[in-house]
Amino acid sequence: MIRSMKKSVSHIVLLVYLIAILYPFLFVLFSSLKTDNQAIASNPFGLPSSFHFENFHEAWVNANISVYFFNSLYIATLCSIATILISSLAAFAITRMRYSKLSKGMFQFILIGMLIPGNALLLPIYILLKDTSILGTHLALIIPYTAGAIPFTVIILSAFMRSIPSELEEASVMDGLSAKGIFARIILPITIPALVTVFIVNFIGNWNEFLMANFFISTDELRTLPVGMVGFRDTYNTNYAQMSAGIVYSIVPVMIIYAVLQKQIIEGLTAGSVKG
Amino acid sequence: MNKALRNPMTYVFFMLPILVLYVLFFIYPMIDAFAKGFTKWNGIGTPEFNGLKNFDKAFSDDKFWHSVKNNSYFILFSVFVQVPIIVFFSLLISNVKKLKGLYKTAVFVPSVMSTAVVGILWSFIYEPDIGLFNIILTKIGLDPVMWLSESKWAMVSILITNAWQWMGFYIVMVLAAILSIPKEIDEAAVIDGANGFQRAIRITMPLIMPIISVVIMLSIAGAMKAADIVIVMTKGGPGGATDVMATYMIKYGITNVKYGYGNAIAVLIFVFTLILTALYQLLIARRSERIEY
Repeated sequence: MIRSMKKSVSHIVLLVYLIAILYPFLFVLFSSLKTDNQAIASNPFGLPSSFHFENFHEAWVNANISVYFFNSLYIATLCSIATILISSLAAFAITRMRYSKLSKGMFQFILIGMLIPGNALLLPIYILLKDTSILGTHLALIIPYTAGAIPFTVIILSAFMRSIPSELEEASVMDGLSAKGIFARIILPITIPALVTVFIVNFIGNWNEFLMANFFISTDELRTLPVGMVGFRDTYNTNYAQMSAGIVYSIVPVMIIYAVLQKQIIEGLTAGSVKG
Repeated sequence: MNKALRNPMTYVFFMLPILVLYVLFFIYPMIDAFAKGFTKWNGIGTPEFNGLKNFDKAFSDDKFWHSVKNNSYFILFSVFVQVPIIVFFSLLISNVKKLKGLYKTAVFVPSVMSTAVVGILWSFIYEPDIGLFNIILTKIGLDPVMWLSESKWAMVSILITNAWQWMGFYIVMVLAAILSIPKEIDEAAVIDGANGFQRAIRITMPLIMPIISVVIMLSIAGAMKAADIVIVMTKGGPGGATDVMATYMIKYGITNVKYGYGNAIAVLIFVFTLILTALYQLLIARRSERIEY
């Protein structure tokens, strides 16, 4: 009796927490389907009385969300692939090539990156990009995003590659494969699960990034989705319906990825340090 | 035998791209901040060396100290409010049988979202007229509060939003540690007659101390990183009330093009973070030794 009461108390407490998490999402989802500001202002909490999908069309076309969406998609994808490419090469050299002392030093050197506070680098990177005239173009995000994910990606990929038994490549050397061949034909295919993990984690990180995207880009057509959304709010802060539709657009891709690949995402994100 | 894997040219070819980017975007900016922090420079012409002037200015600048104070609110709130709640909910979730998967999946969701979107979502909730909080306040007969535009509430509002976004992330970490404790230990305690609360305090808690220590460490690092949430929700306002070191640096360095002073603040962010990490390692991390089952 007391036992079951305790259980139900736990469930009630957890349910309250669950509602606290889900409420903002439901609020936005419902708001995006309501008529306009008036409907939201007069009925902010109720269910939509009828579904107004035109908010999604309006936001997509008139509020430029489509432009921001594709900028984010292309930048996040490109950077995540580029990071994986160069980091897997390095992880291979560090863990599989026979320069153990040098590699140990290299690994430690890259590890320092995890200790450097990202915020402190924002201004010097801004100045560097300005001096090289990259500032204000998409490259001003693509290069720092690609570079920024290096320490985390190298650590994860190195840990994975280190666990591959060396007999595998010894056999390949006997068969006459070069280091490049071993990398491309033996080690890289085995590393695919780890590559998927780091790709997803980096993609989510790049898709969500705000500070650099906000300060390194100044033309509206080049903006990414998070910055575009904030700009949209600051300009049309009364059109809750369209703003909510915009938010739905920026949440949906990560939600789909999260729903499908939760396990990899949790493993990857908890392996790197993220703020809190 | 190992000839194929001992090829200097290949090694260089494999390491070069990453080293170039890493040095350019981690090492060089850090050194550059240190070099420019000692200069007076508005971005045009050559930086002019002015010794410790920028640092003097920062240390006697009330607004800078206010931003440091706000960073420390982030840290204190994370460590003394968030961490206990994180442990509480982790223990709770680990003890329920039904819906465990759902709780575990749902609590993590906010941390895969952009801070910009989280900030916008929560500015709806803090909205003075139609926001949830004020509607509740007026329903129970209290005065509405200007959550984000009143200086005494703005910081609290940001801290709550930040906690909402990141707590689930740490709950999942702590939960994983709890669930990996061998069942026999808990079963033995049940046989000895320990109740749920006693087991949580005497058995589970000591066994998860190492992961709690990691969570505290990551929270501190995270508190030093929080800046996007401030920019999205209040832009540091009202009147600098919610500025953190990073947003203050941006105000000077990027918005007002005072590169010298901005870089000096960047150096201070770096130094403060380093001191905190070192202090933490010395005082706390050493004591919570690794636990073997």
